[in-house]
Amino acid sequence: MRRRADRAPRGTVPRVRAAAGRPRKRGVDLSVDLGPLRLKNPIVAASGTFGYGTDFLPYLDLRDLGGFVTKGLSLLPRRGNAPPRTCETPSGMLNAIGLANVGVEAFLSEKLPALRDCGTAIIANVFGETQEEYVAVARRLNGAPGLAALELNLSCPNTEKGGLAFGVSPPVVRQVVAAVRRAAPDLPLIVKLTPNITDVAVAGSAAREGGADVLSLVNTFLGMAIDLETRRPVLDNVVGGLSGPAIKPLALYMVHRVYREVGLPVLGMGGISCAEDALEFMLAGSAAVQVGTLNFFDPTGSVRLVREIEAWCRSAGVRAVRDLTGTLRLPAGRPPAPCSG
Amino acid sequence: MPSDIAAPVIRHDVLGRDHFLLTLECPAIAREARAGQFVMLRAGRGFQPLLRRPMSICRVLPGRRGRIQILYKIVGEGTRCLSQQPVGATVPTLGPLGNGFRLAPDGTRPILVAGGIGIAIFPFLVEALRAARRATPLLIYGARANRDLVALDFFRARDVPMRLATEDGSRGTKGFVTRILEPLLARKDRGPRMEIFACGPTPMLKAVRERALGAGVLCQLALESQMPCGIGVCLGCVVGCPPDERGPIFRRVCAEGPVFGAEEVVL
Repeated sequence: MRRRADRAPRGTVPRVRAAAGRPRKRGVDLSVDLGPLRLKNPIVAASGTFGYGTDFLPYLDLRDLGGFVTKGLSLLPRRGNAPPRTCETPSGMLNAIGLANVGVEAFLSEKLPALRDCGTAIIANVFGETQEEYVAVARRLNGAPGLAALELNLSCPNTEKGGLAFGVSPPVVRQVVAAVRRAAPDLPLIVKLTPNITDVAVAGSAAREGGADVLSLVNTFLGMAIDLETRRPVLDNVVGGLSGPAIKPLALYMVHRVYREVGLPVLGMGGISCAEDALEFMLAGSAAVQVGTLNFFDPTGSVRLVREIEAWCRSAGVRAVRDLTGTLRLPAGRPPAPCSG
Repeated sequence: MPSDIAAPVIRHDVLGRDHFLLTLECPAIAREARAGQFVMLRAGRGFQPLLRRPMSICRVLPGRRGRIQILYKIVGEGTRCLSQQPVGATVPTLGPLGNGFRLAPDGTRPILVAGGIGIAIFPFLVEALRAARRATPLLIYGARANRDLVALDFFRARDVPMRLATEDGSRGTKGFVTRILEPLLARKDRGPRMEIFACGPTPMLKAVRERALGAGVLCQLALESQMPCGIGVCLGCVVGCPPDERGPIFRRVCAEGPVFGAEEVVL
């Protein structure tokens, strides 16, 4: 039975600190389940912000994370877009990296072996320019030792459909997800939704129909920046993806909506930069969350969040963090559906 | 190995118009730093600015306290916010990052070419060259105007010969640093082999790179870039490199740089 945080008796859990000054692990159960995927805690480093995991070894112990998602992998290596690729914006940043990555073969032969026994869930992010490429990459990763799950990036332009992102067309989403599901039957399948769509829940339902186990959302919002002096776009790619605290309310709403409408476990993300942000996403329906841009400006921020969430749970009398998921208290009689104005 | 340290501000001096010299105590960074490397500084507490700013390590101060100095100019929100940090405040400091300069081989004369705030990288290099008992470098230093030429005392105190240039002619040669560099490279009797070390705005680096490659002189360029993470993961700070048969090649300024050989990059 789910227990609500606000009803938990306060002060019943003794606040004890270990000798080293770090909160004790005992007391709060941080583990979470996302369908078939179990994580030791709800903090996952997001794709594109964590390299292939090893880059963060000087700063943190990977075992302290619930997991991390690799940079998006394509069939062949990709070099990405010309610079400038990034631009800071108010409380956020735009990026147009162009999906640069080492390719699935180099990932399997060079990156993954170095991560063996890293003590956290390794989730491989997959993308393609065609459905065939998604399938080929997923098939290659299926059964790779040490992989915990796949995450499909559906924000990639579909070269066969005039460059429109896969994720904006529900029939295409259903079809790609089903094809990948068949190609990689042994791995939990997370489908990452683009927010650049009228109703993200429709794409989420399509992914569920295609066989997704988990939905992760949201990817970045399309945006641009202009240099008034040169009258040119700041990014060489003209358009980029907006991330960071600026998008948090937008993402939180989409998580809320997908949680209520779709009925799959949700991995929420979008501007999370402190424990409170992460916990809000959990109340809105996330079983676990991803942190992205935070890794750029605070490389140890992800593990700090784990500790802060544990401390918050202890002080709120929450025994298991998973009990928080979806416990948002909505106004009585108010429909959960969106309304404008 | 780099560290992320909440470094206390020990001193914060104003060096003329918009220029500041920040002294931070961060022993783990000071111990490992090499000339040409940088740190990522978080200038504020909130989200404006959100990202850290890459800053050259200007000097590692002698002594056991492990202090480094950062010389910077206010150019935007991040540096403005940094300039407001009082003595005693702590500045999240991540470093040392990137690859430093390769010291010129023995018997080579180092020519340091600085444009504007690019001067910030050179005090550390001057001290590293002295420590390695290399030839005394020549500094060619250009800025917009006389009042933008900073840290001259440092170089004067170390007997580093200086050739100055200002765009408005208020001091030294009127024009860009290339007006000083070009005749130097053209001299038939230019003596021992020289190696150029350059840091400054991209148009300057581009000009220096062309002149150096044209004259067949060794040249290292310390690049600046929009750098969200500084640790090689965001892939945002790349610079274009000579293409191969598959097209353009990009390398990360933070991880493969910030110092590149002139022949390694296309500016």
